[in-house]
Amino acid sequence: MPLALEDFRRDMEGCSRCSSCKWIPLSQIRSKRFSQVCPSISKFKFHAYSGSGKLNTGLSIIDGRSEFDEAAADIFYKCTMCGGCDVGCKVYRNDIDLTDTFAEARARAVELGHAPIELLMLVENMNAENNVFGEPKDARADWEAETGVELLDANAEQVDILLHVGCRLAYDTALRPEIAAAARILQKTGLKVGTSKTAESCCGFRAYESGFKSELAKFSDDMVNRVKSCGAKMVAVACSDCFGAFNYVYPKNGRALPVPVRHIAEIADEMAGGAGRETAKTAAAVSIRPADAGRGGETRTRKVTYHDPCNLGRKGQDFTGQYEGNKLDRPDEMRRAGQGGRYDEPRRLIESIPGVELVEMERIREYSWCCGAGGGCYESQEEFSLETAKERIEEAIATGADTLVTSCPWCVNNFNLAIEAMETGAIEVVGISQFIEEAFS
Amino acid sequence: MIIPADALADLRAALSAERVADDPHILDSYAAQPFHKVEPGVWVHRPIAVAMPENTEEVIELVKICNKYKLRYKAISTGWGAQGGAGFDNVVQVDLRHMDRILEIDVENRTIVVEPYVTCAQIQAELMPLGLNLHIHGAGSNCSPLASATSHMGMGFSSISMGYAPRNIMGVEWVLPTGDLLQVGSIGSGAGWISPDGPGPSLRGILRGWAGADGGFGIFTKCALKLYPWAGPSEVNVTGTGMDHLDVEIPENNSFHLCVFKDMESYGRALYDLAHAEIGYIQAKVAPGLALAISQFDRFKLTRDNENLRKMVGGFSHQFFICLQGNSTEHFDYQVHVLESIVEKNGGSMLDISQVMGTPPGAMWWMLVRNSLAPAMFRPTGNFYSTLGGDESIASALRQDIEGEKLKEGFIAEGACEDDFGDNAHTLLYENGLFAHTEELLLFDHRNREQGEKLKDLSDTVMREIPEKLLGGGGFSFFAGGYAHDYLGPQMDNYHLWQRRIKTAFDPDDLSDSKYFINSEGAELAEH
Repeated sequence: MPLALEDFRRDMEGCSRCSSCKWIPLSQIRSKRFSQVCPSISKFKFHAYSGSGKLNTGLSIIDGRSEFDEAAADIFYKCTMCGGCDVGCKVYRNDIDLTDTFAEARARAVELGHAPIELLMLVENMNAENNVFGEPKDARADWEAETGVELLDANAEQVDILLHVGCRLAYDTALRPEIAAAARILQKTGLKVGTSKTAESCCGFRAYESGFKSELAKFSDDMVNRVKSCGAKMVAVACSDCFGAFNYVYPKNGRALPVPVRHIAEIADEMAGGAGRETAKTAAAVSIRPADAGRGGETRTRKVTYHDPCNLGRKGQDFTGQYEGNKLDRPDEMRRAGQGGRYDEPRRLIESIPGVELVEMERIREYSWCCGAGGGCYESQEEFSLETAKERIEEAIATGADTLVTSCPWCVNNFNLAIEAMETGAIEVVGISQFIEEAFS
Repeated sequence: MIIPADALADLRAALSAERVADDPHILDSYAAQPFHKVEPGVWVHRPIAVAMPENTEEVIELVKICNKYKLRYKAISTGWGAQGGAGFDNVVQVDLRHMDRILEIDVENRTIVVEPYVTCAQIQAELMPLGLNLHIHGAGSNCSPLASATSHMGMGFSSISMGYAPRNIMGVEWVLPTGDLLQVGSIGSGAGWISPDGPGPSLRGILRGWAGADGGFGIFTKCALKLYPWAGPSEVNVTGTGMDHLDVEIPENNSFHLCVFKDMESYGRALYDLAHAEIGYIQAKVAPGLALAISQFDRFKLTRDNENLRKMVGGFSHQFFICLQGNSTEHFDYQVHVLESIVEKNGGSMLDISQVMGTPPGAMWWMLVRNSLAPAMFRPTGNFYSTLGGDESIASALRQDIEGEKLKEGFIAEGACEDDFGDNAHTLLYENGLFAHTEELLLFDHRNREQGEKLKDLSDTVMREIPEKLLGGGGFSFFAGGYAHDYLGPQMDNYHLWQRRIKTAFDPDDLSDSKYFINSEGAELAEH
C-alpha cells in the first residue's frame, strides 16, 4: 500500500532533537574538522535543514501549523537524500526513518506543484529520451563503439549477465574508460555479457528520489521486461544509484527484478576470491594485463583513499521488507541503518593491488560524507552540490592520498567538478573499474 | 504572533538577511522540543524569529535590539530539551550554531576556550592526542560543554575525577540581559583565562547557581574550561557504529569493571570506600533494566516479560560501572588492587559485563569515556524524564534513590511510564569525594497521549515529596520553572527572593526568557 506523509507521523513526532542526525556517530568522531555528516545543515545552518528539522517541518505541516508551500518544499529539496542522518539517528533509535519520511514529503511537494523546475525538466527528459540528460536515446550505446568494447545484444540473444549501463556512464564521455573497464571485467568472467543497447532506459531512481514516485512504474516495468526477455541470470551495474534503485527501491515498491543485482565491485571482488584471497589472484582474475606488466620490477607506491557512495554503502543494503508494527519493536535487520552496505568489496580490491596503500578518510562506510550529487541536488541545487563535493575532496586530500577511488559515476563526476573549481592538482578521482584496470597497466 | 517589521529589519541589518528567519517552517523547527517538557506533546512556543549571530559583537547588537523593542529572546546551541526553546509567544530564538570555534587550547595550563556550538565529542577528539580530556556532562558528547558549564546542571560519568561542569569554568564571556558585555574571572582584568574568580569580577554563583538559568539570564559567548589528563592513546581504535556493534580494545592501563553488591547498605558503604580511596576515572550506576533497555533492547524485552529473569536481573540493582585509568602501570595496578579490596570488603562481586549483558567491555568502556550513551535514553520508548534527584551526600542521595523508586513504581503501576523493573536511579560520585549525584529516570513515549497526561504533574508531585519526606535538593522540579522556586524557596532559606532580586537587577524588563529560570515579577504558584 502506498505510503503518505501522514503515515510517518510517529517518526516525525518521535524526534527528540538530540541532533545525532547532524554528526557522524559520536563513537567515531576523530576530529572537529570532519565530525559532521549532514551536508544540508552544514551548509544552511538553520535547524530546519537538519534531519531532525525536516521531521519537525513535516510535523508542522500535518499538524496544520504551517502550509506545504514553496518554502517548505525548499527545505526538503535542499538535501542530497544521502541517509547520513538516518545512520546517526539509528545508532540510538529503532523507530524513526528519516529519508523515507523526506521521500514522502517530496512526493507531497510534487503533488502540490512545488518541485524545483530543474527536476521537472529532468522527468521530462526521462520521459522523452529515457535518460536524465535529455540526450538522444539513440546515442545511449555510443560508448561501445567509442571504446571498442563489444558486448552481446541482449535484445537479440540470450545472455548470462545483463549489464545495465545507466545514464551517467552511457552519456558522459569523460567516463568512457570507467564503463569500458567495467565491461571488460565482466567479460573476464567467461560468461555471456550483454546490454540492452539503445533500448536501455534510465532506472528511474532520480525521478523517484525527487518525489516523482509515479514515474517509477514505467521504468521498472521496462527493466523487468528486458531482464526477463534476455534470460539474464544476473544484472550487473557500475553505478551505485542504479544499484540502489534495483536492490532497494524496486522491491520496496513491489517491483523487484527477477534476478540478483550485483555491483561491479562485488563481482570483481568475487572473481578475485572475496575475503581472504591472495593479492596475486586479484591481478590474475580482474586485470587485463598481468600484475607485473610494465612495471620493470619496480614497486610504485600509490596512496589511495576510497569514497563510499551512499547507494552502495549505507543505503545499499537489500530491502528486507516493510515493518508494519510499532517500530520501537522493529528487529535490527529491518532497519536501514547502513549495516548491509558494500563496504569491504571495493576496499579488498584496492588493498590487494601491489604498490597501492589504502588510506582511509575519517568519515567512511555508513558514516561517509556524501558527494553532493544525490537527491536531485546536482540538477537543482548546483552550488550546494558542489560545496558538498569540495568538502569531501578536502577530506580526501587530508589523508595524503594522491587518488580518490569510488564506485559511482555520479560521485566521480561531482568530485571532478569540485577539483576543477578548487583548482587543485593534489588528487585525482578514478572509478573503481578503471582503477583496477589501470593499476596493473 | 509575528515579529514587528522594524525589529526584523533591525535584526537583519545587524546580522544579515540570510541569518535571520521568520519563515514559519524554520520557526517551527525550533518549537518541537518534546524532551523534558512539562506539558504533554511536542510543541513549545513558536519563536517569532530565529537569529544566528556569528560573534559576540553580533550577540550584543541582537540583545540590544530585543531590549529596544521589548522582545524576549532565548539562546540555544546544541541543546535538546524544552528549556532550549521559547517559553513565551514573543521570543526571538538565538541559534548560536555559527559560533563553533575552539579558540585556544593551553596544554601547559590545561585549559581550553570555546564558543557555544562546539561539542564535547569534537573537543575530546582534539584533546586526546595532547594527552588531555574534558569532563563530559550527562547530556552527552553531542552537546556543548559551554552550555552545561554556564547554563544547565553539569554532572557526568566523569564527575568522579573531573567534577561538576560549572566547577570547571576558568572564565566566561557573558552578554548580560541588557546587552552589556561582562567578562567573568581573570579575563575580565586582562589577565587571560586562568581563573574564574579573579583578578576581575567573580560571579560564578550569580550567573548560574546550582541548576543554571537555562538561557534565562543573558547569553554566554565564550567560556574557558579546565582540562584533565588522558593517559590513553591519541586515537582510540573503534570499529562499528551502533550501540550493539561497537568493537573497541581497551588500551593499556585502562579498564572497565562492573561491581555488584547484595543490598543498598553494602552498596552505600562501597561508595564511601571508593570516595575515600580517591580512585576511578569514570563511575556511575546505570540500573540493569535501563542498561539493557538502551544497549540490548531485545534482551530487555525478553527479561521484562519473564518473571524469573526479572528476579535475576533485580539482583544486579546495587551496582556501579567504573573505569580505571593509570598514569603508569604501577598507578593502574594500585587502583585495580584497591577496587578489588573495596568490593571484597563489602561482600560484592566484579562481573564480566559481556557475560551479564552481552555488551563487550571495550564497547561499554568507550561509550562511557566518550559519553555517547545519553541519546540512547530515547531508544526504548522515545522519551524519558529525569526526576527526584540532586547533589547530596552519598547517604542522602541513596535515600532519594529509595524514595525515587517508590515514586516510580507508582507511575509504572498507573501505566504512566515503561516498566523497566522500577530501579532506575542513576547515581555517581563527585571529585573522588563524599558528594553524589542521583536522579530517577522514567522511560515513556510522549506520542502516547495517555502517558503524557499522566506525567504532566510529575514535577509538582516531586516538588511536594521533597519537603514531605525531608529530602535534600530540589528534585529537578526546577525544570517546572518559576512557580517551583516559589514553592521550594520558603523551605530552602528563601533563596527564591534573592534569586528574583538578582534577575530583576540584571534584567529589569524580564526579556531573557525566564520560563525555565525565575521571572522578575513574582509567583505563578497560585495557578498550580
